[in-house]
Amino acid sequence: MDFAALAPSANSVMPSVHPTSQAKEAAFSPYEDHGGTNLAIAGADFCVIASDTRQSNGYHINTRFAPKTFKLTDKTVLTTAGCQPDCNMVATRVRQHIEWYKYTHNRSISTAAIAQMLSIMLYQKRFFPYYDFNILGGLDEEGRGAVYSYDSIGSMERVPCQCCGSASALIQPFLDNQVRNKNQKGKEEVTAFDPVAKLSLETTLKIVKDAFTSATERDIYTGDSLQIFIVTRDGVEEQRYPLKRD
Amino acid sequence: MFLTRSEYDRGVNTFSPEGRLFQVEYALEAIKLGSTAIGIETTDGVLLAVEKRVTSGLLVADSIEKILEIDHHLGCAMSGLTADSRTMIDHARVEAQNHHFTYDEKIPVESVTQAVCDLALRFGEGAEGEKSIMSRPFGVALLVAGCDERGGQLYLADPSGTYTRYKAKAIGAGSEGAQTELQEEYYDTITLAEAEALALKVLKQVMEEKLTADNIQVAAVTPSLGFHVYSQEKLQTVVDSL
Repeated sequence: MDFAALAPSANSVMPSVHPTSQAKEAAFSPYEDHGGTNLAIAGADFCVIASDTRQSNGYHINTRFAPKTFKLTDKTVLTTAGCQPDCNMVATRVRQHIEWYKYTHNRSISTAAIAQMLSIMLYQKRFFPYYDFNILGGLDEEGRGAVYSYDSIGSMERVPCQCCGSASALIQPFLDNQVRNKNQKGKEEVTAFDPVAKLSLETTLKIVKDAFTSATERDIYTGDSLQIFIVTRDGVEEQRYPLKRD
Repeated sequence: MFLTRSEYDRGVNTFSPEGRLFQVEYALEAIKLGSTAIGIETTDGVLLAVEKRVTSGLLVADSIEKILEIDHHLGCAMSGLTADSRTMIDHARVEAQNHHFTYDEKIPVESVTQAVCDLALRFGEGAEGEKSIMSRPFGVALLVAGCDERGGQLYLADPSGTYTRYKAKAIGAGSEGAQTELQEEYYDTITLAEAEALALKVLKQVMEEKLTADNIQVAAVTPSLGFHVYSQEKLQTVVDSL
């Protein structure tokens, strides 16, 4: 048999039009979701900020330890979720502006000032936003816990507690119930008018750990280990706990 | 003062062999031609008082404004070529608003003074990448008064781009006599009301015309009221109580 005759000849597959003149789709996708969950809870004189450390890409785990919570000052911590390079860039830029503030005004920046600054930095990228969801936690000027929640283009709100990232749909209702006392008979709700949870630090830490262990069971993008930052008058303390690695 | 004029007088950015910038020094002289302005830090705010030279009966005294608001918590008094202060005060106001927009807080008094001083040396040909906005140094000095979380503060910003904090400071034509008087009379526990009396007493001594409620302007910055210029009625009662 003449196999050579069966093989497609170079001429038969040549398109009638030159290939470069044909329409070709070129997709530019600068965004990637790296998963992960974080949350913050404001207490009377403390603030707890926590995040898991897994970084994934689809069914693939890139690394089991990629911290996405950043200590900014002695009383402010930023936690981020979304696209890892975007998260890092936001944290780097916020830190840079904090340094500039210190040099210009000769004092350390307040949590409220960082909150407003972050909102503006995110909105400045309104038409090519960072793929990054932020929560800012810390102490306000009165020493009370403060949590500011953001969307990716800088809409900001001071809240008693907030969760964002891949398991936020699992954790947020739990926080609403346990921290804000929502849907609880005979308990006073914590509203935005007084955005501070009426919980002890001990109870808050229990809630945080429970939230992450449970979320790890159901969400494949959350796990490996848990970083908890506790902000009090004495500064920022970091704790680490293992989470399931499956 | 500078009897031996030389070619170093000409270039605004040229040092003389003795290491002086004549144009900047002359600008400092221009302030001494201006009307007297006084600022006093007190326990409950900062007081500003200026003399208005009402040279003719036909001149509408209200049209002379030598104390201006920068922000709710900031004001300033000026002496010298007051038209030059437009650029500086515009800049100070923009800086104050920018700070409020970016950080949701009041700009510190020292920072706004620094911002004004940043402008002062932007004359002449301009450094690389930086546009110069003036062909000569400013001919005006500002007494910047304000209240922030560090309390009431008074700063003097002069044409050399230097700023200094004072408990009490007089600038302008009568500054020498006024400063001596302030030095003698000032005490750390002075209240705003006592400072009103002191400022007017000092102004009265150095002013050529007789002091009335029409030829002076007084303002104060307090933590509760912020910046406010004294009304004609309030000024009259202070003048009457002298």
